[in-house]
Amino acid sequence: MNDHATDRNQLIDCDVHNFLGDLDELVPYLDLSWQKMMNIGKFKKDSVLNIGSFQFPHVRYSHASNPLRTDAITPSGDYPGTDPQFLVKDLFERYNTTYGILNVGHGSMSAYHNIDLTIAYSTACNEWMYDKWIKADPRYRMTMVCAPLDPKATISEMQRVAHRPEIVGLNLQNVNIPMGSRHFWDIYEAAEHYGLPIVLHPDTEGSGEYSPSQFIGPASTYMEWHTTLALVAQRQIASLVCEGVFEKFPKLKVIFIEYGFSWLPSVMWRMDKNWKALRESVPWLKKLPSEYIRSHIRLGTQPIEEPFKPADLISLIQMVKAEEMLLFCSDYPHWDGEFDERAFVHFPQELKRKIFYDNALESYRF
Amino acid sequence: METGRISAYKVEVCSTDQLKPSQRKLIEINGVEIAVMNVEGKLYAYRNACPHQGAPMVYGTVTGTMLPCKRGEYTYGHDQEIIRCPLHSWEFHLTTGKSLFDPCKVSIKKYEVTVEDDTVVIYFHKRPEKVSEKEVRYFV
Ligand code: FES
Repeated sequence: MNDHATDRNQLIDCDVHNFLGDLDELVPYLDLSWQKMMNIGKFKKDSVLNIGSFQFPHVRYSHASNPLRTDAITPSGDYPGTDPQFLVKDLFERYNTTYGILNVGHGSMSAYHNIDLTIAYSTACNEWMYDKWIKADPRYRMTMVCAPLDPKATISEMQRVAHRPEIVGLNLQNVNIPMGSRHFWDIYEAAEHYGLPIVLHPDTEGSGEYSPSQFIGPASTYMEWHTTLALVAQRQIASLVCEGVFEKFPKLKVIFIEYGFSWLPSVMWRMDKNWKALRESVPWLKKLPSEYIRSHIRLGTQPIEEPFKPADLISLIQMVKAEEMLLFCSDYPHWDGEFDERAFVHFPQELKRKIFYDNALESYRF
Repeated sequence: METGRISAYKVEVCSTDQLKPSQRKLIEINGVEIAVMNVEGKLYAYRNACPHQGAPMVYGTVTGTMLPCKRGEYTYGHDQEIIRCPLHSWEFHLTTGKSLFDPCKVSIKKYEVTVEDDTVVIYFHKRPEKVSEKEVRYFV
């Protein structure tokens, strides 16, 4: 790491994942009825017929090797990302991280079929994250989870916890309703009110029953699935811009983490071209779509694309003036993040400062 | 220390009973970390830093993989002969260090490792000025 460290002294890592070591860690935050519904706590079935227990909707595409870094297993031999102290040592101290933003990693409930359970889980999860993680080290920040299929419940949850300064964004997750849809407008209004950006991160794609579609049908392999996740972000950006969300909510920011970014020029250029001819159908748009995108959309750097000539990434960023749009993400402890700053070795110092710190400070609620 | 081998210097790693099957050691020689492992009785030693972004190969998974084959076929092979980087999962042949996706251009540096008088030894290309053993937290 140090061989490649820049002279930076501040870093905000916008994608760090923490995991439940055991479902029972949620027990203190769920009343008896929900424990019963999930068969956890005293209702846990320890027999071989343990088929009634709750399971997170998990992505059905299996990674060829290991989706979690095998060098991040905790000292006690547990799952990577389950020990707050070890994460500090293994990640923050190695990277000299100022703040690490936790996007909970053990499974997303946003697209789960039972929305009542998603609501109860979201409250429990936000409390668990706060107690076990936020309190463990002052460098931790978190996005709060919610039930996007129920905007009222999402807003109540924000009323309950959004005042906590360590919460820096709303982890919305994709469902099968396009993000520009009026279904989400009350959530956006509340997010704007609390100064929280909306954060999207892959998890629900191909997992829960309300998952967003994969457009032409399901992918066959993990490789095909992972490669095409970027399409979800592109589709959502078109929806947000065309539906006029950023005219209606001029302070709203929407952050796409882990969808890559090298597709950005094509989205901007195509939307601008179409708007010149088709603006009549979206007359509420007052300026080029690329201008809305530049002001309101932010993109995580990871999984960073690796062009034939690495320095071409810089030209690509300059082509669409995306210098203020990119946010550094390690994605620890997932398999597709950056081990160190080598991926940015060609980037000019000024751009690195923006990506590593300034842009996150401006985009999240700090 | 100098041996008959061309610019190879012998470095003792440990006794054989300290590197049993499935066990791994991490040795640092002149600032270069070398992972030494026993895979089902065969010894391998290679540079710890993955050629991609430098992740520690000592935590890589030893496995086999799918051989190139016709559309619609899956043929598993090279069982226990492949090590995958713990981070982005690049695959390397344990015996040659060569990557599977571009064996001519991308590989992990291998070191000769052998047993002499019940001691595991590796051969290093420079005079070993500073040798130390580093902690391996667990074996994958
Ligand atoms: S660091 Fe090893 S494959 Fe990327």
